Amino acid sequence: MPNSTQMVFFLEVILFASVIFMHLSKKSSSVIALYVLQSLIIAMLLFGSSFQEASWSLFWVALVVFAVKVVVSPYFFHKLISENQLKFTASTYLNGPMTLVTLALLTGVTYSRFFKPLTILSRQNEHTLLLAVAMMLISVFLIINRKGALSQMIGVLSLENGIVSFACLAGLEQTPGLQLGIIFDILVWVIIATVFASMVYKQYGSLDVTEMTHLKEE
Amino acid sequence: MALSFIIATACIASCLSFFVKKKMDTLGMIAMIASLGELTATVIASAAVVKNGSYASAVYFSIDSLGAILLILVAVIGFIVSWYSAGYLKAEVAKKIIGFRRVRQYFILLHLFLFAMFFAIITPNPIMMWIAIEATTLSTAFLISFYNKPSAMEAAWKYLIINSVGLLLGFFGTLLFLYPALQAGQEGLITWQSIRANVSGFDPFVVKIAFIFILIGYGTKMGLVPMHTWLPDAHSKAPVPISGLLSGVLLNIAFFAILRFKTVVDLAVGRQFSQELLIFFGIISILVSAFIIFVQKNYKRLLAYSSIEHMGVMALGFGFGGIGASAALLHMIYHSLAKSLLFLSSGNIFLKYSSTKIIRIKGVMSVLPFTGVSFIIGFLAITGVPPFGIFITEFTILSAGIQNHPVVTTMALFGLTLVFIGFFKHTVAMIFGENETGMQRGEAGPWTMAPVVILAVMLTITSIYVPSFIALLINAASLAY
Repeated sequence: MPNSTQMVFFLEVILFASVIFMHLSKKSSSVIALYVLQSLIIAMLLFGSSFQEASWSLFWVALVVFAVKVVVSPYFFHKLISENQLKFTASTYLNGPMTLVTLALLTGVTYSRFFKPLTILSRQNEHTLLLAVAMMLISVFLIINRKGALSQMIGVLSLENGIVSFACLAGLEQTPGLQLGIIFDILVWVIIATVFASMVYKQYGSLDVTEMTHLKEE
Repeated sequence: MALSFIIATACIASCLSFFVKKKMDTLGMIAMIASLGELTATVIASAAVVKNGSYASAVYFSIDSLGAILLILVAVIGFIVSWYSAGYLKAEVAKKIIGFRRVRQYFILLHLFLFAMFFAIITPNPIMMWIAIEATTLSTAFLISFYNKPSAMEAAWKYLIINSVGLLLGFFGTLLFLYPALQAGQEGLITWQSIRANVSGFDPFVVKIAFIFILIGYGTKMGLVPMHTWLPDAHSKAPVPISGLLSGVLLNIAFFAILRFKTVVDLAVGRQFSQELLIFFGIISILVSAFIIFVQKNYKRLLAYSSIEHMGVMALGFGFGGIGASAALLHMIYHSLAKSLLFLSSGNIFLKYSSTKIIRIKGVMSVLPFTGVSFIIGFLAITGVPPFGIFITEFTILSAGIQNHPVVTTMALFGLTLVFIGFFKHTVAMIFGENETGMQRGEAGPWTMAPVVILAVMLTITSIYVPSFIALLINAASLAY
């Protein structure tokens, strides 16, 4: 189905672009909006898969994913922002141009000989699969490069979105029961990470992780 | 039945602890009864494994010889830590370090932590194992930030983020491992058995990439260098009994996950690939931790780095293979006992001296004689001094590697010697000498003393005589490596 393949590629490009824009975005609310967009596409991929398989259980899984990632998680993040008045995300370790160079390098690595064998998992979505891997690597870089705890949290969740999109494209989806287990884990993670971020803010008066220097001082 | 009982007990104990009001003894009693029940069920399940080679309880739980070894470790250390926790937290409440709410929170999370570890061992499905190991991160994050100090919060944040990233990479590797089974039309729960049965469907390059992700992912949780940065902070900031569990058991669970995948990789592309990777991570873990141990100033961090070193020794054992793998499994048992002993002893030292700085600890032998002796036993055991078992296991691992990997073996020997010298220097400084602060002599109480003595006795006895059922389990488990 060429149309379906093209559509999937288009959605994956948006996912990839969203994590690039996360790197460029300076406002906390923009990073959250990009995460919502990412999660919405993931939920759409899952809904599509449930219709294709004509499976009600997969439909419910997609609905839970939508609820957790598109509704509940952003709610927690917005609450964190409003409670702690975190309008802007903290700065990055690398400056803008260096960040872009690194993003280009990471994307290049994805299309290198090291990751090429992964395309065997789905010849139909060969390039789309590598784009999902690029999204994963760039999400890891987001966690490393950003100094803000909120950006790090969203980086972790974006990495998870990248893995889920890869699994969808490569036909590695799990049984509905296991998918629910994974999404439950993610929900608990979001709650715990948000609580921790609040506690960090109370202790340090900032969500900038470079302010955390007590371990070094000991 | 026994495996379901273990899971149910940990869950029920956590729920019961939630409803306890104001009675700290009740929390301790629940923990002890639950962990004793888990230990009993573990013995029953392990006996069945010794007899039949494996044991299944319901459709979703099963263990083999390797699983039985891990299950015994979690149950034994879990029981001793639960016992010790009751006394230790009581002493902390008496010193007004924490209040009742914190104690209740501690026990709820302790049971959840044990539940997640048991679940990771007994599930036959790799994804469920991943969920359980991720759950150990989530349940322990609040235990690491337990004292609510800025440094504890920092350690917990680092732990949460680094481990989550690591485990997500491990999750990606896990998904890649499921590919041949899914391709073969396998429906329902994919087990280790079905993955191995479909191993011919693996592309060699894909399986290699998958194992690299697994090693980086679960290696982060295991504390292998260079993914170890969270470990010394988290282990030194958590309450002492939790540090004992983290170092003594949780790291082994992450290694258990790697070993499960190793059997699949070995079938798909031969043993050399996984062995070379394990040797690489093993030797750098030993060397880096050895140098840091030598210059360490904090005794809890000292013990944490020692855990990294011993994870490296185990990785090296499995990297060398053959007799090295059997020795590494025995090493795992000795390390769990010795490290828990050291952490619990350090808990007693902390209760008395209220400091984790080595420079501030003097004359433990005269102030805390029982703890002093236990710490010395732990030190001798952990650094591989004969007649303790770690001497035999390290000697066997190095013997297994000397012929094919002489350079790595020599480097490992250098690292182990450096660890001994460093540990010796710090232990002598802490244990001997005169305490000039006029501190009153005496232990905190029998509840914090008895578990330490039991661990010391167990470590000494098992060093001289390995029970036949443990030997049988080790022999059966090491056949695959």
